[in-house]
Amino acid sequence: MSAPLLEITGLSKTFGGLKAVDNVDMALYSGEILGLLGPNGAGKTVCFNLICGVYRPSAGRIRFDGRRIDGLAPHEVAARGIGRTFQIVKPFAALSVLENVLVARGIRRYGRFSRMWGSWRGRGEKEAAMALLERVGLAELAGRKAGLLPLGNLRRLEIARALAVGSRLVLLDESFSGLRHEEIARLEALVRRIREDGVTILLIEHNMRVTMGLCDRIVVLDHGRRIAEGTPSEIQHDPAVIEAYLGTKGKRHAA
Amino acid sequence: MHLFLEQLLNGVAQGAIYALVTLGLTLVYGILRVLHVAHAAVYTVGAYLGLLVFNTTGSLALAFAGAMAGCALLGVLIERLVYFPLLKYPPYVPLIGSIAVMLSIEELLRLVAGPYILTFPAKLPFPALHVGGFQISPTLTAVYVITALVLLVLWFITGRTEVGLAMRAASQDMPVADAMGIDSHFVVSLTFVLGSAIAAVAGVLVGIYYNQVYPTMGSVPAYKTLAIIVVGGMGSVSGAVIASLLLGIAETLLIGYANIPLPRDALAFIAMIAVLMWRREGLMGSGR
Amino acid sequence: MSAYVITIATLIVIYAIVVCGLNVIVGYAGQISLGHAAFFGIGAYTAALLATKGHFSFWGALPLVILISGLVGLLLGLPSLRVRDDFLAITTIGINFIVEAVFLYVPFFGGALGIGGIPRVMLAGIKLKGAAFLLLCLFFLAVVLAVCWWFTRSWAGLACFALREEEQAAASMGISPVRFKLTAFVLGTGMAGLGGALYAHYMRFISATDFSFPVSITLLAMLVIGGMGNLWAPLLGAVILGVLPELFRPIVDYRMLFYTGLLLLMIRFQPGGLLGEGSFLRRRLRLKPGRAAA
Repeated sequence: MSAPLLEITGLSKTFGGLKAVDNVDMALYSGEILGLLGPNGAGKTVCFNLICGVYRPSAGRIRFDGRRIDGLAPHEVAARGIGRTFQIVKPFAALSVLENVLVARGIRRYGRFSRMWGSWRGRGEKEAAMALLERVGLAELAGRKAGLLPLGNLRRLEIARALAVGSRLVLLDESFSGLRHEEIARLEALVRRIREDGVTILLIEHNMRVTMGLCDRIVVLDHGRRIAEGTPSEIQHDPAVIEAYLGTKGKRHAA
Repeated sequence: MHLFLEQLLNGVAQGAIYALVTLGLTLVYGILRVLHVAHAAVYTVGAYLGLLVFNTTGSLALAFAGAMAGCALLGVLIERLVYFPLLKYPPYVPLIGSIAVMLSIEELLRLVAGPYILTFPAKLPFPALHVGGFQISPTLTAVYVITALVLLVLWFITGRTEVGLAMRAASQDMPVADAMGIDSHFVVSLTFVLGSAIAAVAGVLVGIYYNQVYPTMGSVPAYKTLAIIVVGGMGSVSGAVIASLLLGIAETLLIGYANIPLPRDALAFIAMIAVLMWRREGLMGSGR
Repeated sequence: MSAYVITIATLIVIYAIVVCGLNVIVGYAGQISLGHAAFFGIGAYTAALLATKGHFSFWGALPLVILISGLVGLLLGLPSLRVRDDFLAITTIGINFIVEAVFLYVPFFGGALGIGGIPRVMLAGIKLKGAAFLLLCLFFLAVVLAVCWWFTRSWAGLACFALREEEQAAASMGISPVRFKLTAFVLGTGMAGLGGALYAHYMRFISATDFSFPVSITLLAMLVIGGMGNLWAPLLGAVILGVLPELFRPIVDYRMLFYTGLLLLMIRFQPGGLLGEGSFLRRRLRLKPGRAAA
């Protein structure tokens, strides 16, 4: 196999003595969809935020395309070409849907002082942004204020923005939560199409069924540790996963 | 040494008065996350109401009671008519609203009561204290005793009663408090009643202490108390009291005793910026 | 035009320039500032000192004034960047009080007496006064409005809008919060500095109270009444708050109450301002919903 696109080694994060992420290794290869699965509080979101630069790792390394990105600030990680979505959607509410994508299109402008004074109102930029909106199926809503969109469309908007930032790698943070069945099915189709366009995807997901259906490989976390890795069918029958995911869940329900 | 002690005692009194004004601000910030600048106008209204009642009845007890009742009502009105409808907007909107209320009340007072300094010729019925050959004036004694009393009552209400428990619950997390069956809007109003009544006490006390009541007596405290709640730790009652006392003492000693040519009213903000750079959660803040 | 009208108009235009700077900071970048008068004052004092002690001409001093105001803005903006929302509001109030105290207590700045004897602006050998100075101010207002207009169309401006709406999301799109907040701060304080220079050379005498905290509130009130984030809001707000008190001169006693009452009613019932979306003015004039960004 070729070198991984995203490689995580010995990643740890402690919050006041509590190990939220504990010595996790993970590799993501070009063109695949990798799922990061685990019960509540397993460390998925912390792991995700470590990659995106929201938190600084206590130990371990993160390499993207061979270069270290651990310890960078979120905007620096983005500038390297990693796009992300937010579980709790964060649209630029007063801007239009199109403008939301245009903000993300500016990724190559914001780093250089000399390049940020040009106009974003050019036709070329608008066309490129419209193409992204078309890809996620929001083209008709381009002029609408983002704050007025329903959740399903906001999730698509987040994906469009993430694609503008990360043409090679996109991290999806529970993009399926809170959606209705038919919306989930349509979003699944969208994620598959994106992968076919050559974008690599890291998916954090709560929803077992979605993860099993979409991912090529799955990494399972529990209490901050990696307890299993494999194809969906391997994971489904892994006793450690069943224990962690269903067992503790059962206990929690009893408690 | 004598002068030093005298200035120290004055500083503590100044700090106690700051504390009384700041308490309401802290309580309101703790529960609504609104910077209640207009609180200082409530304090000014308290001084005027106290003076009015005192001049008509001659009773100091009635003056305190009348000022407290009037201010409590004013506080609740501000909360219901201005803050509550504006909570859904970004925080600067209620803040600007608050500043507008503050300035409007100052103007109204200027028009109604006149732009002059009125005197508050009341004698507080406290004895002069003699400690080791050193005399503490009746007014100072009154400031100390009344502040201590207010703090004690506040501590009892918030710490020992069910209403206080509800207040603390609502300031932690209002939706959760609502879900637990606490009428949080009632609790918010109660917070305003409590804070405003304390501000009224402060207003009357200051009026008597300096023998002055005037429309803009709240202008400087309005913004200085904001600095104090930052230094104390936003929303922390004990922090606010400690920061108030320290500021009162520092102002009086540095400027009154050591004669450092420093603008007195900027000191609070210098302390605040130091706190922001060095210990952002404030003296007693939880780092929320 | 009578001298009286020209005086009012000149001050309105100067205030509009200063409020444009505030609009960049608060309206575009979403950074609440309650101490804008401090930067207005820094511009005025710098211009006054350069003119009286440094014997600079207005034109020679102007780039320096804007640069120094912007740099001080950068310096004072740094601690503000560490804090958000409520803290930022209080910090900027603090900056205003401290700057005013420095003007008032440091002898170099003339102390309580202020600075007098500031010369008039010369242009092509002619002393500008009255209508000519008003034209000069209008010229600078046009420049400032053009800069603001360009800013709203630039990537830097778009980045600021994004930060204003949702900082975390903006950062995930490569927007450095520090860089763009500071950019807005420097631009906004630079404009305040320009306004200050014009003010100093117009009044020819300045003192610390011209730039005290209530002035910051007036500036913010102009912006709020006009409609935060709208290009024309500073001008509209400055005109309304500049003209109304004059109309109400017969009842001079109630002027301030009217002023503050208007601000209260405005923020209570129309927090988006006259040019804000869904305002009664927009409905009345049947304006199309404005572009939120610009």
